[in-house]
Amino acid sequence: MLTFNATSLSSSSSSPVVSFDFNCPVSSQLLLFPCKFNNRYTRVSRNYKIFQLKAGFWESIKSGFVKNNTTQVIEPPSPLERDEEPLPQEFVLVEKTEPDGAIEQIIFSSGGDIDVYDLQALCDKVGWPRRPLAKLAAALKNSYMVASLYSIRKSPGSEGGEKKKLIGMARATSDHAFNATIWDVLVDPGYQGQGLGKALVEKLIRALLQRDIGNISLFADSQVVEFYQNLGFEADPEGIKGMFWYPRY
Amino acid sequence: MVAVEVTAGIRMHVNIEQRMLEGYRSKSMELKWARRRNSKNSITSEEKLLRPTAGALVPFYISTDPKHINPDELQNLYAACNHSCYRFPNHVDDGGRVEPVDIHKLRIALSHSSVLVSVFCKPRYIVEDNDDIAISTTNSPFSIMGVGNFLQRVMPLPVSPFNGQLVGFGRAISDYGLTASIYDVMVIPSFRRMGIGQTIVKRIVRMLTSRDIYDIAALCSDNERLFFKACGFGDDILGSTTMMYTRSTSTTYEVDQRTTRAGRRFLLIPPVREPCGSSQKTVS
Repeated sequence: MLTFNATSLSSSSSSPVVSFDFNCPVSSQLLLFPCKFNNRYTRVSRNYKIFQLKAGFWESIKSGFVKNNTTQVIEPPSPLERDEEPLPQEFVLVEKTEPDGAIEQIIFSSGGDIDVYDLQALCDKVGWPRRPLAKLAAALKNSYMVASLYSIRKSPGSEGGEKKKLIGMARATSDHAFNATIWDVLVDPGYQGQGLGKALVEKLIRALLQRDIGNISLFADSQVVEFYQNLGFEADPEGIKGMFWYPRY
Repeated sequence: MVAVEVTAGIRMHVNIEQRMLEGYRSKSMELKWARRRNSKNSITSEEKLLRPTAGALVPFYISTDPKHINPDELQNLYAACNHSCYRFPNHVDDGGRVEPVDIHKLRIALSHSSVLVSVFCKPRYIVEDNDDIAISTTNSPFSIMGVGNFLQRVMPLPVSPFNGQLVGFGRAISDYGLTASIYDVMVIPSFRRMGIGQTIVKRIVRMLTSRDIYDIAALCSDNERLFFKACGFGDDILGSTTMMYTRSTSTTYEVDQRTTRAGRRFLLIPPVREPCGSSQKTVS
């Protein structure tokens, strides 16, 4: 199966603009056996549809010539998979009226649309070490779910000025089927102690369990172990521990 | 998805799926050798004919290409290694065998894993286990055409994902920015203690570090801990505690306690708390 590697078009490497990736089973096979042998092989290996996202070169030529053929050259992502992505929600969690008449709402959002600069500022507030912004952005984009809390302050009167502030976040990575890990749970120190962190994590857990993702794990600092125990987490259950990689030079 | 119109009549959709593409950009032949360690038990003469002798070199092919993985073969590998995707697995009999992994969920998991590593070996090196787990016959084109053995004798091709059998596997989930977790590293029992598992983990780590991800975690039970330690993993330097969600029932009486099964545990789904609209009412 020959596949056209188009990424070289956008890369800035010194390699030629178009390169054919010979994605053949064994490179020597191409020389020894006729091409139609490859075709039969690719049909046999089509049992697993999920990886056939790139069109086989010979299939696309075949489909062009044969009329009414049922060979599906392109496999679109199955609709079932699309439905499994968590639907973004947004709703008001808490609403408070302040003495001066201003209304403060705390909004929960699972859309994942977080400004990395706001997040960086929030991490600074809780005292976390700084991490590269590009990496933060990539991590947020590729997480299974990002839950965030915003505080919207509406000043009294007809000014209409709304101040939206990021005050909490939690995110989880997952393989969408079995395992998930919760990372980066943080709440603005000024809003801690109200159950907001608990709400964030509970939402994540609910979203994960509703998709039947059963292995939910996290790595807790010593001062928050009790917080997670109250949420239903168990430390080192049945002897399961997490280990981390250390580079050896 | 980017559609590229090459010539009239031929239209190829090139899927620039960022998640998996970079992983297998380098398509170098990944043939490696493993040496069987000397077995402690004495080998009878009949077994010596069947088994490759201790100390012999066994060639295997390590691949990071998701297309080389056949979910059915992988399901068999999970069964052969008695590995469950659930951390608290359901045992189907007293022998400690776990329930077979759900192939539909396995497919979903594979498609959303950032790194997939598979190890193949030629069938003639594979020896059936004592407890009679039948390793699925190879589905290479050679055997289908019926001339497999003949061709292998006349023209022995190097082991590849297409003429070899899946003997090892490992996968990792990452957010492509900061963190990654390694799951489901397994090698069939007769191929253990040859360094294949370590090679799998090292390959996963290499693929992650090449993308600048150094925060790599692996959840492991007691018997896996030594293995990961040998692969260069250790306890967290920051001293964090590993925790997993295990709540089954709530202590307070809840009207509607919904649970979902995860292996042998039934995990409680946190009840929905009404988002309030009135003032000065705090949630939870």
